[in-house]
Amino acid sequence: MIAPVQPGWHGALTRTPAFWVVSGLLVAGAIRIAVLGGQFVAAYPKATLTATALFALLAVPFWLFIADLDFLEPEPLAMQALAFAWGALVATSASIPASVALDDLIAKLGSPGLAADWGAALAGPTVEEIAKTLGILAIVLIARPQINSVLDGVVYGAMVGLGFQITEDIVYALGAVALAGRGDSVQPVIATFLLRGFLSGVWSHTLFGALAGAGIGYLVVRRDKTTLVRVGVALLAALGAWCSHVLWNAPIFGDGLGNGGLALLAVLVFKALPPLLLILLLVRAAHDREADYYTGKLSALRDPSLITEGELAVLRSGPRRAQARRHARLRGGLKAQAAVRRLQRAQARLAVELSRAQQEGIRPSERWCEDVREQRAILATFGLPEATVPADGTGAWRRRAETVLAIAVAIAVLWVALTALGGS
Amino acid sequence: MGAGTRRQRIDLLGALLLVLVLAGLAFGLPAIDRALPSQRPVSSEVPYPVGGGVTVLPPAGATIDLTGTRPAEAQGMVLFRLGTVRYSIIVQPYAGTLAAAADRLRRRITGTPGYQVTGTQRTVATTAGLQGVQGGYTAPGRGGRYTVFVDRGRSIEVTVSGGELDLGRSLPEIDASTRTLSYAAGEK
Repeated sequence: MIAPVQPGWHGALTRTPAFWVVSGLLVAGAIRIAVLGGQFVAAYPKATLTATALFALLAVPFWLFIADLDFLEPEPLAMQALAFAWGALVATSASIPASVALDDLIAKLGSPGLAADWGAALAGPTVEEIAKTLGILAIVLIARPQINSVLDGVVYGAMVGLGFQITEDIVYALGAVALAGRGDSVQPVIATFLLRGFLSGVWSHTLFGALAGAGIGYLVVRRDKTTLVRVGVALLAALGAWCSHVLWNAPIFGDGLGNGGLALLAVLVFKALPPLLLILLLVRAAHDREADYYTGKLSALRDPSLITEGELAVLRSGPRRAQARRHARLRGGLKAQAAVRRLQRAQARLAVELSRAQQEGIRPSERWCEDVREQRAILATFGLPEATVPADGTGAWRRRAETVLAIAVAIAVLWVALTALGGS
Repeated sequence: MGAGTRRQRIDLLGALLLVLVLAGLAFGLPAIDRALPSQRPVSSEVPYPVGGGVTVLPPAGATIDLTGTRPAEAQGMVLFRLGTVRYSIIVQPYAGTLAAAADRLRRRITGTPGYQVTGTQRTVATTAGLQGVQGGYTAPGRGGRYTVFVDRGRSIEVTVSGGELDLGRSLPEIDASTRTLSYAAGEK
């Protein structure tokens, strides 16, 4: 179920008590992280600057990828930033003392050996998943009308996770600098960047947050289900995020596969693949559901100047949208590619506005239709009447070559990382 | 208006619940942790596993601080307390030389504001034959000593710190304990 977009939250935002409470928490978190950062800057200025710059840069492609997951109904930038800030400032601030305390409690109530082996696997996930999930709930409290689909929950959850991951990575990098005992050295920062940035960059906090977010999205949106089912699914998703995190931190397969680079890669894949596949399936299902809803709105227009049958099929699928843009680039260069993207964006905006107008019982503004026609006219100047993928497979070989190249680059990056870590 | 007020109340309640859970994590858990005793008595006659296959006989009268003790298979650490004196042993995988390991530890010590290494290093050995180096350091109101061993691909860092008076009283017991550092039978 996709709830229609509800407008008007911009004006009401500051009138929600949750906005001010969450703002206060963000300020408190920012002060706490700033104090921690100040200590790092005083001790290791060069390393702190390098770590912050590297991980901030790493966040950019992840942010763009996450935001683009919901291409048809993108989340407001302010809400994305709020989710990221919660993860980076609030969730980390709460998790640092709480994780240490829980680890100590495991040692006190169990044994120091138990804490040494399983402390990181139990304390970290328990504290951090709760702190991050609270961030998704904060978004729900502040801007409930913006949660229209399970995919929205996935996006906000992933953003919270990304923010958490970036701050945590910077703290880990500077911890490595302190441990190395070589003063203000950049080398431990680079090693941490390769290890945590690349090897565990894709499938750790961002992924766990996305999984928990999917559950919250379901809880908020699926009003056709009973409260028990919705709460059950949300709890199950949170449990899934916790289990994935526990698996990731667990000391299993530590030595069983040797110490080489391939063994490390195998461990990463074994621990990372289950949650990665799970969230990919969830995102796919949530995306398809949302795509069916919005393309249904456009289909009802029966106006080929706004969207053709071929474009409906393309707009419904992320890979096909990308294929259509690649096809345009082959035909007319980067400008044609950008023109297709703008047309797709205009069509998506129109679909959202149609949904919004239906919700309010009014006629959609002609402005959105004009925008689509304007973008189509620009595309036509490149000799492309519509933004579709050729059925005869033209350009397929190039797409395959690009995919192979991308995989080769990814493997090369992994090997560089593994070599830097001393793998063989 | 009435509905709006009710919605705002629910919204506020939700936000306060959020703050409550967050405060439970950030302040509640550490409070519970602090409320439970962190020190346990330990026998000075049974070798204590530090981690990475390394064992040590605890000093007589020492207690174990559970917040600084994490013995694991490949590495580990133990923190003993004798009154106000801290006696810490950390075992880590290490591929460098003894001189480099000692230099790394000295830099970490002097990296703390107010801490300074004093005097020259001297070589030390355990009864099991581990060769190491030892030095001293001072800090405001405290004194300290460090010892480093490198053997079988691991570094063993021993640091002792405390008030000058207590430290002087405890050092003979701690030195005797440090000399018992060894690898457990069968450890490679």
